[in-house]
Amino acid sequence: MTTVAARAALVPRPAPPLSAIVSYGVIVAILGLGVWSFVALDFTPKGLETVGPNIARFLDMATPLQWPGWEVAGERQADGSTVFTTSFVGFAPIWDMVLTVAITLALVIAGTALAAVLSVPVAYGAARNTTPNGVVLALCRGIGVIARAIPDIVFVVFFAFLWFNSGTLPAILAIGLHSVGMISKMFADAIEQIDEGPRLAIRAAGGSKAQEFWAGVVPQALPAWIAVALHRADINLRGTVILGVVGVVGIGYELDDALHAGPAGMRRVVPLVVIIIALCIAFEIVSSTIRARLLNVAPREGGLGGAVARAARRGRTTPSAPSRHPVPAPDRAARIAEALSRPWDRERVSTTVWIWAGVAIVVAAFAYAAPDVARLLAPTWQQLVDPAQGRALWPLTFGSNGWGEVLAAVLRTVQIAFAATLMAAVISALVGPLSARNVAPNGTVRNLFRGLALVVRSVPDLVVAILFIIAAGMGPQAATLALGIGGVGLLSKLIGDSMEEVPGGPERALAAGGSTRAQVFFSSTVPMSVPALVSHLMYVLEQNIRSATLLGVVGAGGVGFLLLNSLQARHFDEVFAYVLVVIGMVVVVETLAILIRRAVR
Amino acid sequence: MTNSDTPAQSPAVRTRELGKTYPGASAPALTEVSLSVAPGEIVVLLGLSGSGKSTLLRHINGLETPTTGSVQSLGEEVTRLRGRELRSLRGRVGFIFQQFELVGALSVLENVLTGSLSTLRGPRVGVWSYPRALREKALGHIERVGLLDRTYQRADRLSGGQQQRVAIARALMQDPEILLADEPVASLDPESSSQVMALIREIAAERGLTVVCSLHQVDLALSWGDRIVGLRGGRVVLDTPTDNLGREQVMEIYGRVATSTSEIAALEDELAEAREQVLAQELRRAAAGEDRA
Repeated sequence: MTTVAARAALVPRPAPPLSAIVSYGVIVAILGLGVWSFVALDFTPKGLETVGPNIARFLDMATPLQWPGWEVAGERQADGSTVFTTSFVGFAPIWDMVLTVAITLALVIAGTALAAVLSVPVAYGAARNTTPNGVVLALCRGIGVIARAIPDIVFVVFFAFLWFNSGTLPAILAIGLHSVGMISKMFADAIEQIDEGPRLAIRAAGGSKAQEFWAGVVPQALPAWIAVALHRADINLRGTVILGVVGVVGIGYELDDALHAGPAGMRRVVPLVVIIIALCIAFEIVSSTIRARLLNVAPREGGLGGAVARAARRGRTTPSAPSRHPVPAPDRAARIAEALSRPWDRERVSTTVWIWAGVAIVVAAFAYAAPDVARLLAPTWQQLVDPAQGRALWPLTFGSNGWGEVLAAVLRTVQIAFAATLMAAVISALVGPLSARNVAPNGTVRNLFRGLALVVRSVPDLVVAILFIIAAGMGPQAATLALGIGGVGLLSKLIGDSMEEVPGGPERALAAGGSTRAQVFFSSTVPMSVPALVSHLMYVLEQNIRSATLLGVVGAGGVGFLLLNSLQARHFDEVFAYVLVVIGMVVVVETLAILIRRAVR
Repeated sequence: MTNSDTPAQSPAVRTRELGKTYPGASAPALTEVSLSVAPGEIVVLLGLSGSGKSTLLRHINGLETPTTGSVQSLGEEVTRLRGRELRSLRGRVGFIFQQFELVGALSVLENVLTGSLSTLRGPRVGVWSYPRALREKALGHIERVGLLDRTYQRADRLSGGQQQRVAIARALMQDPEILLADEPVASLDPESSSQVMALIREIAAERGLTVVCSLHQVDLALSWGDRIVGLRGGRVVLDTPTDNLGREQVMEIYGRVATSTSEIAALEDELAEAREQVLAQELRRAAAGEDRA
């Protein structure tokens, strides 16, 4: 008689499915390439030795902190030491800081609003169910990919040249055009996910294509559109810090200025960083609250709109009794005439307040930023087409660099991205699960790690990079650390979310069978969330490749550094060439990501 | 068949040898369907799911194009119409769906107003983008279906029966000459079902509408329609007026439309289950409503 074991050995094993091979292959590949990148980027203990002295030197320069409104004056004593006295100089600098924050927000909001509007036609063409034909589909998706691939900093410098001395116009246009990439993609995804039924009903009633879109598609996709725009505004606020480096007004410019203003400037750096981080966190909290409310199907009655509605009702003495006990009106015509005007119930007040508050904020942003729109029609083209002036877009050239140097720079950028992704993945492997409700031992731990991820996510990459440059000196290591830490914020949230979305049944079954928490986690939660994890890893890698390019600006090296050099020299032929290289990189990575996601699903 | 071939009364709907095969499908959805519906007639298309009822209905207002044969609606050759002409024909034909197909995020009034889009140029957003006369007309229809006090509520917060009544008001907004209804009560509980079916009959009588309604319940079809057209596997297997039917004839209808009694039983079970789900949902919604109050 054969034993069970012997028979089990004879049971044919099915070949592992493609999705599993790809999933684990991607995880191993990202981890392997990450390790290789870490080695190539020369993270050695020798480098770490200088960290301590660097920080000490910086703190020595940066203290005492000079907050807006105060002046720090140093007096050299006879023994060679310096005594600092901090004195209050009035409210004017505080007010200036408020205005700086206001112009920063105005640029972000105006630019994002512009992008949101421009994204509607692009998304219409890029969504499979609304696009008129395949050519338009490819065109609109191409616009999205290119807009995503060209960093806003490139747009800013180019537009500032095209419309020289035109104030905030280049910044708003740059934020607007670059953001079209992400907003149109996510809006198109939302359009593709709508319920087609109502659209069909409007078609059956004789509606035209345009009527179908506005009456059947837009109302369904509108919450997603607003949510994506808010999310993008978040990202753009963090991005303005980098735009400050090329002279866009706002708090990023103040920071850049402080970093380059000698010892007196260094004392302003820490307060500015604190203000930036606080601003980003506050904005993130506001926007994520509104987003959560919007995407909830049933609008709740709490919050600002509801509060206003309640206040308005308190003002009136008559309760809303008539709607509770409808008194039948004498005749049909009178009842219809009465219904013609919508009653000001709580919901209507709330909706109206929200809509007009949103409109007012966007209008105020444009009014305050006051872009010189008239200049739009009068760009300075001549220099861009005349090769004799050295500013021409054509012919493309890498300047003094050969292909070898460019490829080495691309490789360096990719290494930074991989190393940062590995770092984010390792840390998030701990933080992410602990921020999931079904994994964390209790609510306090979950909220603690959720909050940690939120704070990390809110801090602009550039600020982290500057902190690491201070600690570790310039170079790709600082950029890697900055992106790695920044990635933890994003990846932990994504991991936490997708672990919470895992169906709870199997977990309960294991727990009911007496498994420990850790056993449940490794036997049920992890295997069920692998496809989502792979998708998130790819997303973070994509983001890191984009950001690694940008961080070239602060001396991280790579293709971004070459791009910045040619930008600063206004050699647009080189800029154009490097932008094409960046677009190529992004297209390759996005295509890979799409293929991998398709295989994993 | 009927007296619809007399010149005085040209048919409201006529199909000739209509055939439809969906791309990639192994079997045709419709085969040689020839059907003539006189103005003011109330016809039930009876058949199991997959028998081709929906496909046939969708050909009448040009939502589908036939593979072979032709469709005439209100004297127009549907397949020849394009663009504006097709839209204006669709404007004259109301369509009611099994799943109501309201835009959930919009109010009842806005949903009803979308029924008038074929008479308007350009896209409309919001109640105020429609002329006042249309708004008044829409309110009249909402009043007619008994939902005037829900005018400004979001459509997705209504019960199934209420949503279907909104859909009827939307169809009325078109001033239709023909009303097509595709399983209008298959997603409703029994009480809402009888309300909705009665409402369609009443409105048809008030306006002298031609109605083509697909159903899968033989009893409902017998009591509700003037004429039954049975479909099976995409072919017409039965075409009879409903008055003065004897017991044997009724049994024959069961036999022709559904293959066996076991299939009917299975269908009934399925239906009962669906109704229970809807009912449970209604109860939950009602309970939630009470909580809020």
